[in-house]
Amino acid sequence: MRYVKISKQNTYEFLERLKKIGTLYAPHKISEKFFDFCEVDDVKDVMFEYQRTIRPPRRFFYPEREVLFTFDTRKVELYENLPSDKKQILFGVHSCDIVALRTMDSKFIDDQPDPYYKSRRENGIVIGLSCLPDEYCFCNVRRVEFVDAGFDLFFHELPDGFLVRVGTVVGHKLVDPYEGELFEEVCPDDTENMSKFEEKRTSMFTTQGNWDNLRYFMELRLNHPMYIRESEKCLGCGNCTLTCPSCKCYDVQDIPSIDGRTGERIRFWDSCQFRSHGLVAGDHNFRETKQDRFHNRYQCKNSYCSATTTSFCVGCGRCTYFCPADIQFKKNLMEIAGYKGGYS
Amino acid sequence: MAIIDGCDGECQPRVGVYALTSCYGCQLKLATVQKIMEIANAVSFESFYMLSSASKHPADVDVAFVEGSVSTEKDLEELYEIRKHSRILVALGACSVNGGVQSWAEGEMTHEELHAKVYGTGKIGMKGLQATPISKHVEVDYYLPGCPPEEDEIMYFISAFLFGTFPEPKDYPVCSECRLAGNPCILIERGEPCLGPVTTAGCKARCITFNVPCIGCRGPVPHDTAWFDSLAMTFKNKGISKDQVRERFRIFGAHNPNLEPMLKKIYGGTD
Amino acid sequence: MSQSKTQDEGKENIYDTAKCRLLRKYKLSESDKLFLFRFEDPEIATNWRFKPGQFVEVSLLGLGEVPISICSSARRMGFFELCIRNAGRVTSQIHKLQPGSLVGIRGPYGNGFPMEQFYNRDLLLVAAGLGMAPLRSVFLYAIDNRWLFGNITIINSAKFGNELLFKRELEAMKDIATAEDISIVQTATRDPDFKGLHGRATSHFEKVNVDPKNCAVAMCGPPAMYKGMFEELIARGYDPRYIFVTLERRMKCGVGKCGHCNIGTATSWKYACKDGPVFDYYAITSIPGLI
Repeated sequence: MRYVKISKQNTYEFLERLKKIGTLYAPHKISEKFFDFCEVDDVKDVMFEYQRTIRPPRRFFYPEREVLFTFDTRKVELYENLPSDKKQILFGVHSCDIVALRTMDSKFIDDQPDPYYKSRRENGIVIGLSCLPDEYCFCNVRRVEFVDAGFDLFFHELPDGFLVRVGTVVGHKLVDPYEGELFEEVCPDDTENMSKFEEKRTSMFTTQGNWDNLRYFMELRLNHPMYIRESEKCLGCGNCTLTCPSCKCYDVQDIPSIDGRTGERIRFWDSCQFRSHGLVAGDHNFRETKQDRFHNRYQCKNSYCSATTTSFCVGCGRCTYFCPADIQFKKNLMEIAGYKGGYS
Repeated sequence: MAIIDGCDGECQPRVGVYALTSCYGCQLKLATVQKIMEIANAVSFESFYMLSSASKHPADVDVAFVEGSVSTEKDLEELYEIRKHSRILVALGACSVNGGVQSWAEGEMTHEELHAKVYGTGKIGMKGLQATPISKHVEVDYYLPGCPPEEDEIMYFISAFLFGTFPEPKDYPVCSECRLAGNPCILIERGEPCLGPVTTAGCKARCITFNVPCIGCRGPVPHDTAWFDSLAMTFKNKGISKDQVRERFRIFGAHNPNLEPMLKKIYGGTD
Repeated sequence: MSQSKTQDEGKENIYDTAKCRLLRKYKLSESDKLFLFRFEDPEIATNWRFKPGQFVEVSLLGLGEVPISICSSARRMGFFELCIRNAGRVTSQIHKLQPGSLVGIRGPYGNGFPMEQFYNRDLLLVAAGLGMAPLRSVFLYAIDNRWLFGNITIINSAKFGNELLFKRELEAMKDIATAEDISIVQTATRDPDFKGLHGRATSHFEKVNVDPKNCAVAMCGPPAMYKGMFEELIARGYDPRYIFVTLERRMKCGVGKCGHCNIGTATSWKYACKDGPVFDYYAITSIPGLI
């Protein structure tokens, strides 16, 4: 792997140049407690230190709502509405979110590719950014705290800039033209600083070890009283799934036009926390109660993704941070698995 | 796909728009949707006083939109007549769907007490009733909630109706649309009693986008999935009193049968 | 668009549909109708293949898509049949379609029944209600490949006699069936006026002409039926390795993406549309939530 270094000042210049390639999105502070990926106007607004964005990066490849087809009912024709090949550049993606995107790829590209997602992914550039965890983070026990694929560039914080890992050919093409100008060679001090950063980061996680056996305890304790207690608090609002970087459920609707012959077939994010998610013909519901739906998410998020050899949950902490009812996902999982300590 | 059964381009569906006790805002919304001219070309408005003085009342129609709550005996008589003359009846807006703000006193005061409070000993020209949603009196085929209803939902309903079907109703809360809109959560960040988690989606979190907590104008999420108890618990943990919570829930949700029992569960029996 | 390419090859958009013309429709019961479709593109019509137990997504523009099991024989090519219950906003409109109308079709989807594993075995098919639709496909497949199977029994049950799907078709086959070692049992569970057999499928096991030790079982019905059937079958010595059921879920996309048919638990997370809808005895009994 190629490693280069960039100073903080040059990073801003690099972001300016990225803006010329396509639409650049990066984390911005949108309120006292929240961050979101926003289109970069002034590069000085980009936040290099943040914990999590309110909306997951998957939305740039798999939008909340999109038109799949337009149609003509008299001709009985569907007309494909594929996305434009406009470049989207995501700067500042944390390792958890990068792994989450790869879990998305496993469903939307690896097997019977979804042309909409695939096209946007192919026109997307992902630039990672190192981070320091807060008490909601548990990517380390999910084994995704350090990624080695799924990014074009990855920026590691140094006291005087960033150590940049180049992950793909696309990444090389971004770096190579500016070598000597914006990027310089990595010196032993930089490596030493990165090492110190990683050491500090590791010690900051409030959970330690790994949770590999969690999914077995999940099954052995399917009727754990936690589910009843915690689902009572649940508002069924779906925030946990809509902010989740690896949730991918969607629903499709035909919206006819007033002319009675044309319309749009749209796709929009759905949530397993909604009543209609498990509903079939004849009003039978496979996830009848709020507790069923609550339970469903815990199983789904902890199921195994063979493409990343991790669980679908990447430990980003969004579902807890953005839960209006303050339901603690990490704490609840630890309760099921009987993991002691390590929780602050 | 045929435009309503046996009506492919040859006949126009007949539509009636009626108001009971209300502010006429829902009709105004319907009359001012961007594509009103296209709607007017596709259907025949047999009764819509806001658009035409040639309206009949009630008229024989394929679909009737009724706004307003039943708040007088005259309202009730009219509603029965409308139902008799309409193939499909749509409750249009918060008053019609959930009784509206005029139902705030539901269960708190009798109609007599309410009358005395508002009019004192004065008389009014008609026999008043406690405000109720129209579904308390007649069968309702579809609900378009909101104060007023959203334009895209009105359009979706009308075009789906022309297709001989109806839109898939939303059974999830505003809270989800708010997150998708990328709004910071007012409830989490400021501890304000936002009703987004129990209110039917469809407005794309309009108020919260303007930094105003949701007051629930679209009414509780249907199919008993408005979890007043869980939300009351959240509010209670943030130090909001039962009275405050109750008042807020009641603005547009006073008629919901789950409201009082669920509140009682969290705050206990005292009123 | 769809007409220029076959369903299998060169398909770029997995959500695109191919046009199918409704050629015939028959009333099967008050709420169920049988629809016979043919692809407009003759190339697709000739080359389109499916397995018993698979389903298609039927698309009605302006209304949406619904997953429907194919109920015709996989061996009779050029057309396919769908048995559709009038149960929702899309299916009610399908019921109103007149012959000559066009719909969009995607598929076939799902794993289907592993028919090869059934070869040289007796066959017991147990259908309840609308469950007869996918099992008719299995039954006709077995008849069209009669030499591949041993004795065959089909038990068709419904609450009321007039809800028995394909009742007349099965009755008409009875004479030939006896000559071909096929036993046809039709029973109504809650219909005292029904002129025929009464009671649940399990109460007619004496009419079964199969050897439990060497028999494959295919079932489709309401989930509540499976538990009792499993107990009955195991008690009678049926080989659990050859017991299969097909499940119903809300398969919106059919290709393992939309998540509505998710089932299972953390180590065995399944998509009914891709990993199923046919599951074996061990999957059903070991994965909580399947039935």
